[in-house]
Amino acid sequence: MDNSLLVSLSQQLAAYRSMDVIANNIANASTPGFKRESAKFEEYVTHVRPSETQTGPQALSFVKDAGVVRDLAQGELNSTGATLDFAINGKGFFAVQTPAGMRYTRDGHFSLNQDGQLVTSDGYAVQGDGGAITITPDDGNVSVGPDGTISSILNGASNQIAKLQVMTFPNERAMTKQGANLYSTTQAATPSTESTVAQRMLEGSNVKPVIEIAHMVEVMRAYEMTATMTNSQEQLMRQAIDKLGSMPN
Amino acid sequence: MRALSIASTGMAAQQTNVETIANNLANMNTTGFKQQRAEFQDLLYQNIQTPGAQTSDQGTFAPNGIQIGAGVRTAAIYRITTQGDLQSTSNPYDVAIQGSGYFRIQQADGTDAYTRSGNFSLSPEGQLITQDGLVVQPGIAIPQNTLSVQINAQGQVNATVAGNNTPQTVGQLELTRFPNEAGLNAIGSNLYLETPASGSPQAGVPGSTGYGTVQQGYLETSNVNSVDEITALITAQRAYEMNSKVISAADQMLQQTARLGGQ
Repeated sequence: MDNSLLVSLSQQLAAYRSMDVIANNIANASTPGFKRESAKFEEYVTHVRPSETQTGPQALSFVKDAGVVRDLAQGELNSTGATLDFAINGKGFFAVQTPAGMRYTRDGHFSLNQDGQLVTSDGYAVQGDGGAITITPDDGNVSVGPDGTISSILNGASNQIAKLQVMTFPNERAMTKQGANLYSTTQAATPSTESTVAQRMLEGSNVKPVIEIAHMVEVMRAYEMTATMTNSQEQLMRQAIDKLGSMPN
Repeated sequence: MRALSIASTGMAAQQTNVETIANNLANMNTTGFKQQRAEFQDLLYQNIQTPGAQTSDQGTFAPNGIQIGAGVRTAAIYRITTQGDLQSTSNPYDVAIQGSGYFRIQQADGTDAYTRSGNFSLSPEGQLITQDGLVVQPGIAIPQNTLSVQINAQGQVNATVAGNNTPQTVGQLELTRFPNEAGLNAIGSNLYLETPASGSPQAGVPGSTGYGTVQQGYLETSNVNSVDEITALITAQRAYEMNSKVISAADQMLQQTARLGGQ
């Protein structure tokens, strides 16, 4: 096949990939703690033998996936009014014990399970400084301080229950998304000293509708241009075949 | 082209969101109603290149992976069990709970249900019942010739009977609490059922540690905040619209693909 068609093909595949990433961002515009992503591409250069009339080295550059880059910017904090909704202001993640091992999340919508343990929507135990956190009905309405300390007023005295831990990692961008708002990593977690926890708040998704729609239009137009290019290339080939084929014997 | 199916998960999620908001708004004036909120999670990712993959034998690593998401799903629709405002009704059998706890109600089939809605009445036999005629537990019977009924903050029910100036105790209201009240199963008619997620019910006297107090002549209004709901509705509507734009953009790209080489 002609090289120009293959170059177009690589660009079209890249456009599809970009569109998938944008669609995922927009679909998750209401997912708490979601971090938007953008697909990045790079040039892949191959050298081709120059044809008879050409001089100098000839190169083709294809489009190739370079990575999907996560934008770790803080999402806005939305007040929800629920006692066990938490938002992290700053870097870091809540640690969650799942059957597959420790996972990390920025989605601080927690509940209690039947045993009074603090768990995520999927029932995984949220980790405090001493493992799982248990809040009994006697504790009533708990309050959580900026450093994550969970306390209640019990019989007129302040009673410290546990401390929510916000963990940070050397390279948060290299963490793997696991779905269900969870991340996994092999990096060592260290408790954060700078980030604060806000109670009765959830961190919204950091997807900016205007940016996504603008990117979407850009990708669509780029795809359109490549499609036009492919079409004209195809016409050239057809004309060449017609012309050559109609030559007298 | 995954964008189509991703955007459709987004539209489905926003539809659930709007339905939840609609239900909240519809129940703005329902006694004891607790506002609900939909929570979303991202779906599984396809790992095309895992973050931190090695890019050469010289120990260089890709700083970013290539993970393509598959959209969004509704993880939970949870109840926000904050206290609703108390509204004065001056009906002696209206009882509001201030704090945590539920009234226990015996359903027609004999099983227990729980409610925050304390707009009770009397049955022809003088039993304290709900608006659906279900008996409040433990059963409280008001004597026939009662002049007035007082319920104190601790749930003690005192009746002043004709011909006797001293009020007599005729019953004691109980409250039930759960380790996880958000895990109760709402069955409509302001009733909730115990579930494995809610934990087992623990009965207690109003006003004791961990239980709320009761307030006679008041009803707990719903805790739905109309401003919050309308704001959430606008956001949900816009998000729905954006997802539909993705579908039409993906559709246009597919149309162009179909036309390739067609002239």
